[in-house]
Amino acid sequence: MKRSKFALAALATLIAFWFIDRACAVWLDPYAFYLLRLIGINLMLAISLNLIMGFTGQFSLGHAGFMAVGAYAAAATSKWLVAHYPSIAQQPALKLSIFLATTLLGGVMAAISGLVVGLPTLRLRGDYLAIATLGFGEIIRVAFVNLEVVGGARGLTDIPPLGETAFVSHFLWVALWAAVTLWVIYRLVRCTRGIAFQCIREDELAAASIGINTTYYKVLAFVVGAFFAGVAGSLFAHDPSQRYINPDTFKFMKSIEAIVMVIVGGMGSLTGTVMAAGFLTVLPELLRSIGEYRMVLYSVLLIVMMLMRPQGLLGGWELTWRRRRKVDFEPIHAKQKMQLASSDGVILNLRNCTMQFGGLVAVRDFHLQLRKGELVGLIGPNGAGKTTVFNIVTGVYKPTAGEIWLDSIRLDSQLQHRIAQFGVARTFQNIRLFKELSVLDNVRAAFVHRAGYSFLSAVLALPHQEEEEQAIERKCVALLRLFGLQERMNEKAKNLPYGDQRRLEIVRALALSPKVLLLDEPTAGMNPAETQELMQLIKHLNEDWGLTILLIEHDMKVVMGICQRVVVMDFGEIIAEGSPEQIQRDPKVIAAYLGEPMEAKESADTKPS
Amino acid sequence: MRFVPSRGDVSMEPAQSLQLLILGIALGSVYALIALGYSMVYGVLRLINFAHGDIIMVGAFVGYFIAKATFTELLPLPLRLAFVFIGAMLACAALGVAIERCAYRPIRNQPRLTALITAIGVSLLLEYGGQVVLGATPRQDLPEWLTSQTPLLSLGSVQVRDKQLLVLGGSLLLLALMRFIVFNTMIGKAMRAVSHDLTAAYLVGINVNRVIAMTFAIGSALAAAAGVMMAMSYPKIDPLMGLMPGIKAFVAAVLGGIGDLPGAVLGGFVLGLAETFVGYFASGLRDAVAFAILILILLFKPTGLLGKGMVEKV
Repeated sequence: MKRSKFALAALATLIAFWFIDRACAVWLDPYAFYLLRLIGINLMLAISLNLIMGFTGQFSLGHAGFMAVGAYAAAATSKWLVAHYPSIAQQPALKLSIFLATTLLGGVMAAISGLVVGLPTLRLRGDYLAIATLGFGEIIRVAFVNLEVVGGARGLTDIPPLGETAFVSHFLWVALWAAVTLWVIYRLVRCTRGIAFQCIREDELAAASIGINTTYYKVLAFVVGAFFAGVAGSLFAHDPSQRYINPDTFKFMKSIEAIVMVIVGGMGSLTGTVMAAGFLTVLPELLRSIGEYRMVLYSVLLIVMMLMRPQGLLGGWELTWRRRRKVDFEPIHAKQKMQLASSDGVILNLRNCTMQFGGLVAVRDFHLQLRKGELVGLIGPNGAGKTTVFNIVTGVYKPTAGEIWLDSIRLDSQLQHRIAQFGVARTFQNIRLFKELSVLDNVRAAFVHRAGYSFLSAVLALPHQEEEEQAIERKCVALLRLFGLQERMNEKAKNLPYGDQRRLEIVRALALSPKVLLLDEPTAGMNPAETQELMQLIKHLNEDWGLTILLIEHDMKVVMGICQRVVVMDFGEIIAEGSPEQIQRDPKVIAAYLGEPMEAKESADTKPS
Repeated sequence: MRFVPSRGDVSMEPAQSLQLLILGIALGSVYALIALGYSMVYGVLRLINFAHGDIIMVGAFVGYFIAKATFTELLPLPLRLAFVFIGAMLACAALGVAIERCAYRPIRNQPRLTALITAIGVSLLLEYGGQVVLGATPRQDLPEWLTSQTPLLSLGSVQVRDKQLLVLGGSLLLLALMRFIVFNTMIGKAMRAVSHDLTAAYLVGINVNRVIAMTFAIGSALAAAAGVMMAMSYPKIDPLMGLMPGIKAFVAAVLGGIGDLPGAVLGGFVLGLAETFVGYFASGLRDAVAFAILILILLFKPTGLLGKGMVEKV
């Protein structure tokens, strides 16, 4: 989007909201008007939680805690300011700027608390994370109960409604902030860098394997989510019909309300969350006539929802007004191939690597040197330690002993995503795609750490961001074409047939522009025709692109057909190494695969006697 | 910033600390009972049964109604107490089985997040359903004989009261019974098998559904006993009374290593003692203790004191 166009759209929104604000202030019943503001506040709360929970997949039970921090920080500041400088109330412009500043302060304080909570707890997963966030939410609340300076258990009263002047009401600010929240989070999750959030939800390990710093994005989701929850808290506290907060306002139930909105609307659907926020804010009011039964109804709704439609009403569906345009692709030129191709020399070097799990030595004293442009097969019976070798190279496990070098970079002390960024790409034995993402997005995810723009430019829809997005998309489509997947690029990865899923995983790995590609049983489960086709493709990648490949494979036709060198493992150790022909004749290899011939064993047994 | 302490001085006399120790152990034994139920359910289903805390509440109310019923007046005191406890435990065992059957079994193969949210839904249903049926105002009219705290023996300023002894004795008895069931009976063996590997348990012919139902029944019965004990010690019951003890007992279970039964008991006692001592110095922070412990344990030893770690298979 052009910069001027973006500014124009923002201005138009502002003016439209102002007209709505004026119209509502004049004609709408004050109670209905209050409800409308409440919808906006709940919407911000639910959308910000959806970023954490629906998109990033981190279950948080303490969202009300962030709202509390924002509400208290902003309300206490405005209250103090108005008490000490009463003249503020007489100057509309000053009043509004102070309101904006305190609201921002509330957001920032909440974001800081999000950082403090997120950094330690996000190492935890699933249930544990849920309980830890619940704990933090409660601790925040208990802290406010014990803070006499903000009223202790009584809370803060008579918070000045700074958003109200003669020509605007509080609604305008709520509407604007809600729009900002929606826009920012929409832009965040839609741009290439933001695909990282959903990748973490789908499969953290696979995300790290394509260079996504999972901790960073999880904490970022927490901080951004907390910021908008804090802003929502400030807007709530300053609401002219509210003007009062106490620690009990932000109890566990408040977090649950936000969670229910996210879930009813659909995890990962912004459209759904907006609808759910509106519906679930109004519903209790409509049910006021049945009084105490409404909370019962609420809980039954939640249970039935989970039993019937756990992904929420809209699932991950999104209302989009732009139809998917056809993307052209960038042909892969010889020049790009040259980047991948290379001169001689060792590129991947494993020295004396040992991997021990308790008493089990999965890999013992392993040596392997991959020269640039080589295609090496790694074979061995089940449980020989082949995949463990992949796992120590890619940083899934830290080797117990030994060194791993990629060119001149030492890998064995690095984190998984760093190793991927250095240029080691892999596929998995049991396919690990981002199942709920489209085929295209699976490939785009490999560009997360190389997208040449900041999140800020994505939010502001700057032109260079748009160009970069298109360039990335062209590269992805080119790769997908190579593997015949371009027709299905808008389908969800989980809907692809098995063989296509295997191919897509290779495309995703290739999109990293790796120096070394590790393929873990790429033809497993494929039929002979598919195997043949994939074999040719791997050969093509190696010969025409000059890509260095290490291949784990059980299909001997594949290994013997395309590998230049074969390494055979058994019980964690290398038992043979050489050309396919040598390996096929090696007695140790034959013994490992087929067992020792009876006569040989007998003679060995009888020898000592 | 000023935290409100309940006592001005931080020093403590030996007699006071002994008294706190007694209180802490009594509280800890209640937590241990609840934590055990949490841990058992987590062991077999990998589900945090949020509704477990509300079972405590239901147990307390069932006990309350039995105690208030006129026929109990005719019975001798020990029999009356037995009636209250057994009635509450049976009712809650049935409730636990019903919850599992209606809410958790249909989603057993769904993602764990779905199960967790369902559990929250069940918890809310019990709480607000309880408010509708029983009224939101706390009831304090528990019979005298159930709540009276007669000092049994006094050592200077230290007192041991009859109900404290009953709570402690009852809990220890139930804990011993649990140990026997889990480690010395066939159903206990089946439970341990299911918690190791649910699919494999199916394969060796264990009726997994029955084992899970049994687990819920036993866990809920323990929670009911804990609920009656709480009603004895703090004679005020209301539909939301189970929320906090439930969450805290979960913390105890995590502290000991969730899924690990001796760990749950250990965690319960540690938490009970920690809370009692911190509450003495700063009553406002009493509720934060559990969560502070939780966060510390999750950060430094997420598998708990006695739990064993699990490694993700790649």
